[in-house]
Amino acid sequence: MIQLQSVTKKFGSFVAIDNLSLTVQAGEFFGFLGPNGAGKTTTIKMIAGLFTPTSGRILINGFDSVKNPLEAKQSLAYIPDQPFLYDKLTGREFLYFVGGLFRLSKEFLKEQIEKLIDHFEIGDWVDRRTEDYSQGMRQRITIVAALLHQPKVIVVDEPMVGLDPRSARIVLDTLKKQSREGVAVFMSTHSLPVAEELCDRIGIIKDGSLIFADTQDRLRSYKKQYDGKLESVFLELTK
Amino acid sequence: MTIPVFVHILYYKIVSFLKTTFDLRFVSIVRGVGSLLVFGGFAAGAYILANEITRYVLEQPKIGLFLFHRFISMMLFVFFVSVNLGNIIVSYATLYRSPEVAYLLTKPVAYPTIFVLKFLDNFLYSSTTLFLVAFMVLLGYGSYFGYPWYVMTCIMVLLLIPFMLLSACLAVLILMGLMKIAGKIGFRRVMTLLSGLYLLMVYLFFKFSNPIRLIEETARYYPNVDINLARLDPFFARFLPSHWLAEFLFFLSRGEVERGLPMALLLVLVTAAMVVVTLLVAHRFYYRSWLITFQVQAESNTPQKKDSVRFFDFRKNSILPAQIESLLKKEYFTFFREPGQWIHLGVMIVLITVFVSSIRGLNFILRVADLPALTYLVLFAFGGFLASSLSLRFVFPLTSLEGQSFWAIRSMPVKIGTYYVSKFLVGFLAVAILAVVVFWFSNAPFVRLTPTNRVLLWFGLFNAGMLSLTMSALNMGLGGYFANFQEKNPIRIASSQGATLTFLITLVYLIILVAIITVPITGHFDAIFYGRFFPPGRIMPPTLVLAAISVFLTTFGLVIGYRSLKRDF
Repeated sequence: MIQLQSVTKKFGSFVAIDNLSLTVQAGEFFGFLGPNGAGKTTTIKMIAGLFTPTSGRILINGFDSVKNPLEAKQSLAYIPDQPFLYDKLTGREFLYFVGGLFRLSKEFLKEQIEKLIDHFEIGDWVDRRTEDYSQGMRQRITIVAALLHQPKVIVVDEPMVGLDPRSARIVLDTLKKQSREGVAVFMSTHSLPVAEELCDRIGIIKDGSLIFADTQDRLRSYKKQYDGKLESVFLELTK
Repeated sequence: MTIPVFVHILYYKIVSFLKTTFDLRFVSIVRGVGSLLVFGGFAAGAYILANEITRYVLEQPKIGLFLFHRFISMMLFVFFVSVNLGNIIVSYATLYRSPEVAYLLTKPVAYPTIFVLKFLDNFLYSSTTLFLVAFMVLLGYGSYFGYPWYVMTCIMVLLLIPFMLLSACLAVLILMGLMKIAGKIGFRRVMTLLSGLYLLMVYLFFKFSNPIRLIEETARYYPNVDINLARLDPFFARFLPSHWLAEFLFFLSRGEVERGLPMALLLVLVTAAMVVVTLLVAHRFYYRSWLITFQVQAESNTPQKKDSVRFFDFRKNSILPAQIESLLKKEYFTFFREPGQWIHLGVMIVLITVFVSSIRGLNFILRVADLPALTYLVLFAFGGFLASSLSLRFVFPLTSLEGQSFWAIRSMPVKIGTYYVSKFLVGFLAVAILAVVVFWFSNAPFVRLTPTNRVLLWFGLFNAGMLSLTMSALNMGLGGYFANFQEKNPIRIASSQGATLTFLITLVYLIILVAIITVPITGHFDAIFYGRFFPPGRIMPPTLVLAAISVFLTTFGLVIGYRSLKRDF
């Protein structure tokens, strides 16, 4: 479960996130939408522990991300929008590296890696250095790394960047399956059809403030006020 | 080359540089003023030191103008090689690996224009610090002879800059040649070959220059040692730019500028010719060599066999805790798979070996009271300088080299302290091992003077430990504080403004240490010379002061680095 309680993030005098509160329950797929520069990545980076909130607090499975960062991160998986990897490591080495940081046993890791590289159709690329990878291959390795420790919370920033349609489908199905199995998924995306297809609840952020957060059912009735399209609602709200 | 496009791009590069350099935020101003003070202090120190050394060697041991300028020639040779090597390594990154080049190549910009832009970028980036050091040293040297400001300006602009430019041009020519060869025999082999050739060149230079023989030959003419003894120069010296510059300075110091002018003219003409040759070669070959680098990289990165297990393999079990194991293995592979890293370390180890084997055989005859003490202090300073350079080159970039991939560690359940300590220990141990070796061997000739008294050896080893610890901690800490996660080239990181500032701080620390140990060391050797007893207890007070300063700076470095890692990423 992810809980954001009155979270504010300032960069100097600029308020990037303003008093944001929301909760994503276990097993819930939450779609986080918003125009460029609205504060989506800042919010995600705070949840992942890369930014510290200026005020308010973030709880991951009940653990404060600032006071108990290790416990909070232990059940968290973060998938960034730009999947930077250590260039000189092979994909497999990177996966073992990440597994080590989560203190996973070698036997368990070996089993997980074989299963996941097969699932994400990575093939022989896993034994090449990541400096040779395409954006899509980097993204696949990053997603595999995120799933190694069987997280309870997945925070994903723009999962579709650089993925071909087949890979994108595998990733989306995997995320949906994870949420059905009880994982809380917090996904930022610009793709409105993807959000509509996968998310149980959708939030829209604009200028650092959450201007909309509701279930698909409520969204459907809201959409009827326009032309029945999420795009129209989004454009109207973020105008 | 289309000049308007060149000027257009250059204009925006300058604007970008000015905007990042002259940032008017309060923190940046404070940082800038701090840098200015340290740079200013260092510049003044370099000036005073050069001036005093010139005064000392010409007025105390009276080595004479000829021998003094031959030593300058040797230093200029080392300087030339340093600029050359620095430019080869940095220009590989700027000319071939820079995303800016890839971007410009997709635009209607002529290849030579891109080459010149990146060459200037490379030359200014890798040579500015060396130029400033050389500038202040030359100024200190020139002020001893009382040269007017316009003479000094001419030496800087018309001789020093062309001297460095010549070295840089040679560097890119060599690099383009290397790329062509690498296309056939592989990058790793080419770099190993190049390192071997440079080491051989330095070895041969000093073997045939033979400073000891030069001193002995010159001493025969004592006290007429200011005369021109060019017949003592080895044959090959006349082909070296360092010799031309030193020869000009020699004649200038003797008031015979007209005899030195041909040498100055030769230097300028050869530099001009080399610039033209470089442009012509780049015109024909730069783009082709750029393409070759991709081919070489692709060929060098074949997939690993799935079942082959390598040394330190991630899949092997380890006695270390899982997180430490992962972090150490990651450091190991990222270091040894980056040619710029292991080649540079290899070169430094070989140079240390050469240095160690040459000083091991030093035999002091106690004819002059001050000589062993002076030599000890010089060797101590050299050992410290080495620890400082090693830390700067290999420890300072450690945090920055995490690069954009740092998200992985920051978003995972790893204590910042665990990450920081494991990283620091790797850097510290590498520097400490090399420094202890250097200090051990540089103390050996002095220990032979008093075989029963080992206090000097223990003192040296204690200093080696303290120096390594402090230098590593300062570089680790300030490397974190000035971290640049966008830059992938360790050499560029180690020659950034923050790195230079750190280097200067470590040099100031080193100077303070040398000042602290001067009195007991002089006392120790005086006692041996005059056959008196030197109580070992007299070494204790300076040791304690030295330890206190080192511990303070180590703590300062580690704390500032640790805090900087907690910043937003």
